[in-house]
Amino acid sequence: MKSVFGNKKSIAVFVLPAFIVYAIFCLFPIGYNIYMSFFDTNLMEKSTFVGLNNYIQLAKDATFIKSLKNNILMVIGSLIAHMPLAMFFANAIFKKIKGAAFFQTVFFLPSVICGVAVGLTWTFIYNGNYGLLNAFLGAIGLENLQQVWLSNKNLALFCIIIVVMWQFVGYHMIIQLAAMRNIDSSYYEAASIDGATGWQQFVNITLPMIKPILKIDAVLIITGSLKYFDLIAVMTGGGPNHATEVMSTYMYYQGFNILKYGYSSAIGVVLLLLCAGSVVLSNKVFKTDDTQM
Amino acid sequence: MKKSPAEKVWLGIKYVTLIIFTIMCLYPILWLLLASFKTNKELYVNAWGLPETWNFSNYVTAVVDGKIFQYFGNSVIIAVCAVLVTVIFSTMASYAIARMEWKLSKLTYNIFLMGMMIPVYAMVIPLFSIFKSMGLLNNHLSVIIPHIAIGFPMAIFIICGFMGSVPRELEEASIIDGCNIYQCFGKIILPISKSSIVTVAVVQFINVWNDLLLPRIFLTDAEKMTLPVGLTNFQAMYSTNYVCEIAAVIITIIPSIVVYILLHRYIMEGMVAGAVKG
Repeated sequence: MKSVFGNKKSIAVFVLPAFIVYAIFCLFPIGYNIYMSFFDTNLMEKSTFVGLNNYIQLAKDATFIKSLKNNILMVIGSLIAHMPLAMFFANAIFKKIKGAAFFQTVFFLPSVICGVAVGLTWTFIYNGNYGLLNAFLGAIGLENLQQVWLSNKNLALFCIIIVVMWQFVGYHMIIQLAAMRNIDSSYYEAASIDGATGWQQFVNITLPMIKPILKIDAVLIITGSLKYFDLIAVMTGGGPNHATEVMSTYMYYQGFNILKYGYSSAIGVVLLLLCAGSVVLSNKVFKTDDTQM
Repeated sequence: MKKSPAEKVWLGIKYVTLIIFTIMCLYPILWLLLASFKTNKELYVNAWGLPETWNFSNYVTAVVDGKIFQYFGNSVIIAVCAVLVTVIFSTMASYAIARMEWKLSKLTYNIFLMGMMIPVYAMVIPLFSIFKSMGLLNNHLSVIIPHIAIGFPMAIFIICGFMGSVPRELEEASIIDGCNIYQCFGKIILPISKSSIVTVAVVQFINVWNDLLLPRIFLTDAEKMTLPVGLTNFQAMYSTNYVCEIAAVIITIIPSIVVYILLHRYIMEGMVAGAVKG
């Protein structure tokens, strides 16, 4: 029996197709990307080794610094926008209210819609002429707040964070809800008998029990915020005047608009490091006893 | 059990918030649908209400002039190929990792999972260079192949998680009955794992269908573009013909919404399961 399940040849037949594709088109490009970040190249005739020069240039590049700052703002904004709201929704639905399945299905819907379509939709909403938002402000008598939302460099990034929240809050809600539903209901029964209020139960039972998932959710929000591309590319293209430039759009610009591939891959490496770093950081912040999981 | 007044108020707040967010989720989509039947002029003066006449001319323009069906066809080809190969290869690999006995299975699993935290931006330029030297740029394969590779971590994670919980006796019984390992995989394990495989297929479909970055980088001819790229071209070409663009957006999101309505249970499970390993 053991020989059947340990047969090297059949293991190879099962694993190798996936592994070879994965190695060539996922693992190898990452190594190659790091290698390329030390070169100045246009992928044609010219390719010069420049050492750390691309990274030094990045540190001096005001637009890159701006995009890095915007990414950090997006991370913070998304954490603030997603975590508490998703938790509020998850907790409300978890408490067996009427229509729970309906709310759950509707809230999750935006996260399966194409980012480009979402971006365009919200471009219409924010539009200065006939946009829904201005029409709404007009209807409730706040005409003085009407404006061309995405052209305002102080508001554009904030407007995008709102869209991100609209699109993904349901997704994070479902993650937290799944964690809440895994909690043994006897804890709540015992707490009710002892006279604990809903709030006390939330703080003393729900919150500690879903902490491991909150950690994962935080990682998802952070890495997700570092990776936004579609929405920004469609809604503002990084403008006005780089006010909404993020690393992904700047990387695309450097690589595929002005063909500075080496420089662009250096931005890719920075993104890779930030994603890896956020995993490590969240592990530190949300120190949990992993044996619970 | 009687509820105190404070609890009633709290329950009321919860309902109101949930309902407001429900409207926020659904209204933009409904608004788009209504706007897609309006004329540009009507959109300007009557942003909220029902269209005066239900005319389909915007859809006709989107399909005839905007060639939206061509983009649609490309999206279908790319999504179907990427989903099929990802599902087949990842199911096979998951079987070996979760059910067979070999020293490196844990390591192989971890190497695959590592891919979950890698941003695609850290590999597009090398991929561009590889496809360029292979002469695959502007070929659907250049979008399909990376999607397959990027899809494996999530797929293998979900399917392995499922297969790991299947009792050993079933397989052993089938081997004793004379099945070889491939028959055992095809006749016993595949049918049992169907739900996890459907989940992977649906999640992968949505990821590939919605992706903008890869087709935008690797495809150059308009005839080869997918829907998301087509939409951005629309935005540039018909920057004043809003209603036509809105019709194109509706055509793009309908497949995702239909798939979601039919299979939302699988999607929610899958997208959450894919997430729940840091």
